[in-house]
Amino acid sequence: MTNLRKPGFVLGLIIIALAIVASLAPQLLATHDPFESVATDRLLPPSAQYLFGTDNLGRDLYSRVIYGAALSLLSASLAVVVGVVVGAVVGLISGFVGGRTDFIIMRFVDVLIAVPGVLLALIVVASLGFGPVSLALGVGLGAAGSFARVMRSQVLRIRSEEYVEAARTLGVRSPAILVQHVLPNAARPVIAMAALEMGTAILSVSALTFLGFGAPPPAPEWGALVAAGRDYVATNPGLSIIPGAVILVVVLAVNRVARSIGGDE
Amino acid sequence: MTQVKAWAGYLLPKLGQFLFVVVATYTLVFVLVHFLPGDPLIAALAAKGGASTVIDPAELDALRVQYGLDGTLWQQYFGHLIAAAQGDLGVSISTGVPVTEMIARAFPFSVQIASLALLFGVTSAVLITFLAYAAPWPWLRQLLLQIPPFGIAVPAFLSGLLLISVFAFALGWLPSAGARSFDAAILPAITLALPVGALFFQVFSSAVLEAQNSPYVFTAVAKGVPPRRIFTKHLLRNAMLPSITILGLLIGYLAGGTAVVETVFSRDGIGRMTVNAVLARDINVIQGVVLVVGAIYALVNLLVDVAYGFIDPRTRIGGGVPSRARLGAKK
Repeated sequence: MTNLRKPGFVLGLIIIALAIVASLAPQLLATHDPFESVATDRLLPPSAQYLFGTDNLGRDLYSRVIYGAALSLLSASLAVVVGVVVGAVVGLISGFVGGRTDFIIMRFVDVLIAVPGVLLALIVVASLGFGPVSLALGVGLGAAGSFARVMRSQVLRIRSEEYVEAARTLGVRSPAILVQHVLPNAARPVIAMAALEMGTAILSVSALTFLGFGAPPPAPEWGALVAAGRDYVATNPGLSIIPGAVILVVVLAVNRVARSIGGDE
Repeated sequence: MTQVKAWAGYLLPKLGQFLFVVVATYTLVFVLVHFLPGDPLIAALAAKGGASTVIDPAELDALRVQYGLDGTLWQQYFGHLIAAAQGDLGVSISTGVPVTEMIARAFPFSVQIASLALLFGVTSAVLITFLAYAAPWPWLRQLLLQIPPFGIAVPAFLSGLLLISVFAFALGWLPSAGARSFDAAILPAITLALPVGALFFQVFSSAVLEAQNSPYVFTAVAKGVPPRRIFTKHLLRNAMLPSITILGLLIGYLAGGTAVVETVFSRDGIGRMTVNAVLARDINVIQGVVLVVGAIYALVNLLVDVAYGFIDPRTRIGGGVPSRARLGAKK
């Protein structure tokens, strides 16, 4: 792996590893209980005791950010999974069946792409109710159109390859060809795109939780932390800017690693 | 005469495409709203009056009629479509105001920051590309090319809050909120310009770099044409087509971005109106906004296609060449 010699890539991997640990086992990284308020320690600046300072209720911001990783990153991951699965299935069927079915499906995909992702997510959230799962469904649906397009173009390319023709001549049934030949060969570009989509999904999910459509208040979702700190931006800007910067760092790390996986450089 | 025919043959399918996208957007929203679980009217009333709101069934039926949520799905689908074509987008469930009126009132505020953002974003993208092109040292070039990917990764609420705490609170140069004066539009526009400019940069700079490796630029360099002239005369002109194509995509981005930016800066506008509508589960307003945004998006794409016909006659004479790059959808 030549990637491992690049400092940017390695730094990205370390940040992603930390984020994963924070999502799966926050108690390993956190220094305080994220929900415990200490009345005498309100709105403190960052210090050795409180790494990111404390919020208006005297809760440790660093621990809240650590505990927030699970909700924020899991709904972003779920969004990517929804986008990839829905998009891949639609694209696979569309490209493999072809003809009129393909034409009709792709016109719907065009529309899915035409409606801005945020608005699509807002419709889903407004219909299903607020919360991490409906957020993820909304963001994922917004991404599904692009995945369908990429998957379809891959399928169209592979469908005319010689090994597929050979399999067909040998009498292999269509579903078997789809699973054994088309899917594994089409997967790589789709996976590369999914990796890139992860950064976008983290941004979309945190934007929507910032707007207040995520889990209800005490939950320390990243976007919600920024929104809660907003009231103190004049006096304690760190309260919203630090969680915002954490989101930025994680997104940069994910994008950096995703670009290397996609072989973009 | 052949000119007219060629134009008609070029434009009519595009016009059909435009109408299709608008109707299909409407259909998509309708399907999502009516086939996802939950009754939109009951959800909206619960958001208005608290979860324990009790409504008399007769009253509920009356409200359904009032908000256009009565009748069979087909009646609603075609009824609303015909009404929308006549400019009537229904009545807001949470405020009782006609949706068309609400959108018309909020629209100018959003257009103000969106157009400023487009101006800022495109100008700085062109500037950075030029600087990177003219940079005498490779490291400077690399550094400049690193700025835009950064712009895409910054959450809009972070850049907005940073701008507020520096320029509004620490320096006191610009207002932190509101939409009354032109000053108040500057910070939101910069916030919105970051992702838009970065997105534009991706397409623009790769088109410039591609043109840079072409034989005609090689010839120009060999002739001793100064770099600035090569940039404006050769590179800029050839990067124009892909850059115009991405405009349509940017409109979609701007429409989504206003939701966060207008909330951060407590500004009136389409985005904040939509956010409030979602908080109130006001489905009529959301449907109206998405339809309007979808129509604008389709309109911009139609204009882009027309501009294409003007700029590059090959697309027109060739007879419906739909070869313009689709640009990887939402990336």
